[in-house]
Amino acid sequence: MTSISIENNTSSFNGIYVFFIANRLQLLYFLYVMPTVLTHPYMIWGIILVGIFSQLNLILLSKWLSSEHASKGYPGFVHLFGQWMMRVFAAVGIVVIGIKVTVVTLGYVEIIHQFVFPSMNPNWLIVFIMAVCCYTASLGMGNAIRFSVIAFLCSIWMILLFYTFFMPPIASLPDLYPLIPEDWSNISWKGLLLIWSSLSGPEYIVCIAHLLNPRGSFLKYFTFANTLSVLEYLVLFIASLFFFGSKFLSLSKFPIVTMARYLQSPIFERVDIILICLNIFNLVFGVSIFLLCFYGALRILGKKLQTNHSKWGIQIICIIASVWLIAANKWIWREEHQSLLLNLEIWGSSLTYLLVPLFLLIFSRKKRGL
Amino acid sequence: MAYLKKSIWMTIVYCVILITGCAPYLENNEIEEIAPVIFWSLDAAEEGKLEATTVVPPLVQEKKRILTMQVDLLKQSGKGFNLRYYRELKVGQLRVLLINEELAKKGLRPIINTIFTDPDISQRLYLVIVQGDVKDYIKEEIESQENLDYFLYRMLKHYERKRQGQLSIVNLHQFMQKLYSPFSDPILPVFKAENGNFNYEGTAIFQNDKLISVVTDSDDEIYQLIGNDYYLKYLPIPKLSVVLGHVRTNVDVTFNRDFTEMNFKVELKGRIDEYQGEKNLNDLDDLAEITNEINSHLETQTKAFLQKNQEWQTDPLDIGARTLTPFSRPIEKKEWREKWRNLQIKVKYQMDLEPLINIQE
Repeated sequence: MTSISIENNTSSFNGIYVFFIANRLQLLYFLYVMPTVLTHPYMIWGIILVGIFSQLNLILLSKWLSSEHASKGYPGFVHLFGQWMMRVFAAVGIVVIGIKVTVVTLGYVEIIHQFVFPSMNPNWLIVFIMAVCCYTASLGMGNAIRFSVIAFLCSIWMILLFYTFFMPPIASLPDLYPLIPEDWSNISWKGLLLIWSSLSGPEYIVCIAHLLNPRGSFLKYFTFANTLSVLEYLVLFIASLFFFGSKFLSLSKFPIVTMARYLQSPIFERVDIILICLNIFNLVFGVSIFLLCFYGALRILGKKLQTNHSKWGIQIICIIASVWLIAANKWIWREEHQSLLLNLEIWGSSLTYLLVPLFLLIFSRKKRGL
Repeated sequence: MAYLKKSIWMTIVYCVILITGCAPYLENNEIEEIAPVIFWSLDAAEEGKLEATTVVPPLVQEKKRILTMQVDLLKQSGKGFNLRYYRELKVGQLRVLLINEELAKKGLRPIINTIFTDPDISQRLYLVIVQGDVKDYIKEEIESQENLDYFLYRMLKHYERKRQGQLSIVNLHQFMQKLYSPFSDPILPVFKAENGNFNYEGTAIFQNDKLISVVTDSDDEIYQLIGNDYYLKYLPIPKLSVVLGHVRTNVDVTFNRDFTEMNFKVELKGRIDEYQGEKNLNDLDDLAEITNEINSHLETQTKAFLQKNQEWQTDPLDIGARTLTPFSRPIEKKEWREKWRNLQIKVKYQMDLEPLINIQE
């Protein structure tokens, strides 16, 4: 049996992979709950506005990616921040990634459990999903990056099914009124923060920057990815406004899934089951990338990056992650703790999305100045 | 060799999982073991209980039988039916829910909420209000008519899909959406079970979740024209001995600035399908007179219908939603209800009628 290298430095990926990765990472779990939080029609402008901010952020990120530090990988980071700082960042990263993986996986498991397998013990679902993630992650970062294409192709077409909600009699224009808030204090900052944190994800490309083609320009691909994500958010949000109406929307826990259940097909009765199941590809892609980053951060913490990684490292991490997820599902993913965990994730990923490109740019400027 | 080792390991792991009995699936979904039901009928029984009725088995070559239970809570009936029948009743294919009129008058919210939250039940479940005794009707008909339940579902489906505007078809999602909308009230179709017949009666108008009134005959026709599908294949007006055919309408509602007055303008297009009165359709003056008569008749009818709704404090036409504009503050629910009750209504019809003439006299 040949051992597979987890970080294969020989191949470098084109900008198009950046598009797939950034776009898919922006469409993880929060997509399903976002309309419930946004609720008011004028939050359409919120999505567009935050999308523009996200674009500005991505400009910073792509600037850094085309700098010389980025292509060096870990030594480049050490050069920028120093060994000690890197370990602090790795420790922070471990916590943030841990929360992200927990929320994303348990959120999906909850959806699957509620809509597809209500009688199944959710622990089994966690085990199955983690087994697949473990497999994808153990194939190495290069393959996980390639997997983004599959994840993209498996889930992008779903957005087309939602065109039915834009047709009468479901769609009636008054559902989108009023388009400007009557009172500015009414704007839900929590909603805007949620949009921002849902758009987070591309900052993890920093961890794989050394695998990307060093001569590539990534801004174009970031722009496409971000625009597509914002468009998808808009389509889903406007469709759910048409479908539920502003008031009723706030009462629905998973509006997107509920809408999918309303779709009809002459062949399949439950279209939603197919849609939910195909979204697993996206989840597996996201989680396996996060697990690999998690593993990398652990190795930085343990000063083991120079030594060769062991064959079992990622497997052990997956087993630990599965046990943690089962425990978290039993004790933390409950009413009051659930919202705490969601808030942590929203704040955590918002901050990483905001700070990672900013930090990198500031530090590289500083270094150059010295 | 390595593959052999791997596969042996995998086999052992699978066997352990399967043998230990912690199989992930608890529910049995084998088609021979289950009986998906198509419809459920709910009745009010004594002492605040519910009476649930269903027919099993659906779509199988087996003699049908009717199951009835008296329960306190809705889902108890699901459990009870299971224990009485040799196959497990599944609600995944539930398509029609018949609710007794008396039950609906008490308020539907607890029942509908229970059904709405069940992930097994489709949002496209048709809701129907029934007058009379459904159980008796089914008992009588089950002998002569096979697939009674399925026919009912097909009929509702047909009218929904073709949107023929003849009856109001409402599914679970639409009902819930209107129930929770601040500006409108739900409606449901009403059927009457009597002497071996199951006939469409009209439209039930709700205030929140309580049935307030059932509009029938000409009132229901007016409702179909101005509120539901804006189309009627036949609109008979016996008083004027005329039948209008293929009637299509376009409704325009405007308000004055402080919402004290509403102009309800209806553009109506159609043809005179039948006329048995004294006047001559070939004569242009006569035709204008007939049109005028129809016009004023419809105006009075519509105005009366709208005023009835004001009296009942219901808004099945979503008129409240028409007060919304993109760039102004939306009116509060309570404020709108108050305004709606005292609104001055002006109804105007604009007719475009074509007489069907084939014989020149």
